[in-house]
Amino acid sequence: MKKLMHILFLSCIKATELIEKKIYFKLSLKEKLQLKIHKLMCDACSNYEKQSIIIEKCIEIQQKKQHSEIDITDFKKQITANLEKIKN
Amino acid sequence: MTPEKAINLSQWVESYTTELYSWAFYKLSDSEQAKDLVQDTFLAAAEKIDGFKGESTPKTWLFSIINHKIIDFYRKKVSHPVSIEDQSFSEFFESNGEWKRNKKPQNWQEDNEIQLLDDEEFQSVLKKCINSLPEKWNTCVKLKYLTKKNGQDICQELGMTPSNFWQVIHRAKLQLRSCVEKNWFKELVRKKRQ
Repeated sequence: MKKLMHILFLSCIKATELIEKKIYFKLSLKEKLQLKIHKLMCDACSNYEKQSIIIEKCIEIQQKKQHSEIDITDFKKQITANLEKIKN
Repeated sequence: MTPEKAINLSQWVESYTTELYSWAFYKLSDSEQAKDLVQDTFLAAAEKIDGFKGESTPKTWLFSIINHKIIDFYRKKVSHPVSIEDQSFSEFFESNGEWKRNKKPQNWQEDNEIQLLDDEEFQSVLKKCINSLPEKWNTCVKLKYLTKKNGQDICQELGMTPSNFWQVIHRAKLQLRSCVEKNWFKELVRKKRQ
């Protein structure tokens, strides 16, 4: 019985795979339906999806926050010095 | 290199370093590595400058050099296969594909998602968890946000097939989610009980 359920409505490993795939690629109609029904029956995978999306958003926020400030004048001097080196 | 071209090059360093650096930083999110790539770009430009006929602007020419270097950088990173990959699935799932009993995602009782996004404790745990990922996964996870590209384009850039790509993401996310649950959610519950 369980095996049949897995074939029709995915195992948890497959369901979580589709949850991730969905973030980057379009799912087929069949995949969408299977995932939807699987989630209705499975709390763990429903939690997984919610949390996976939260994590996605957090990573995005963190990436935006990173600073990119360096001393550009100093850096230019450094590059010029290195270019001098290879000229000789 | 003729003296005239040497002058050109030093003018370019003056004019384009800032932009090249911002671009490299945006793509790599690491200032040391971004600096290295900008350095390399000017060195490569010095070597190839005799081939520069002025058909495109110097800026376009320099950006095409640095873009190649950025792609190479990511290719190198993902080309080292990660050996623990298969193990990681059996860490979470039974052989029939069901969650292992103690690995089932719990309800974090996040009544408000926005609150979580602002939660410093949560953010700092997540940061630590991301840094503990194997490098290949880390790269795939970061690349998406840095480039704002869709899956198809990222795969092309990395020379990976789509199925290979989202499997890496899948494993990375399983690991991340469970790391956050262990170090943030369970800690929170423990503290509340005290």
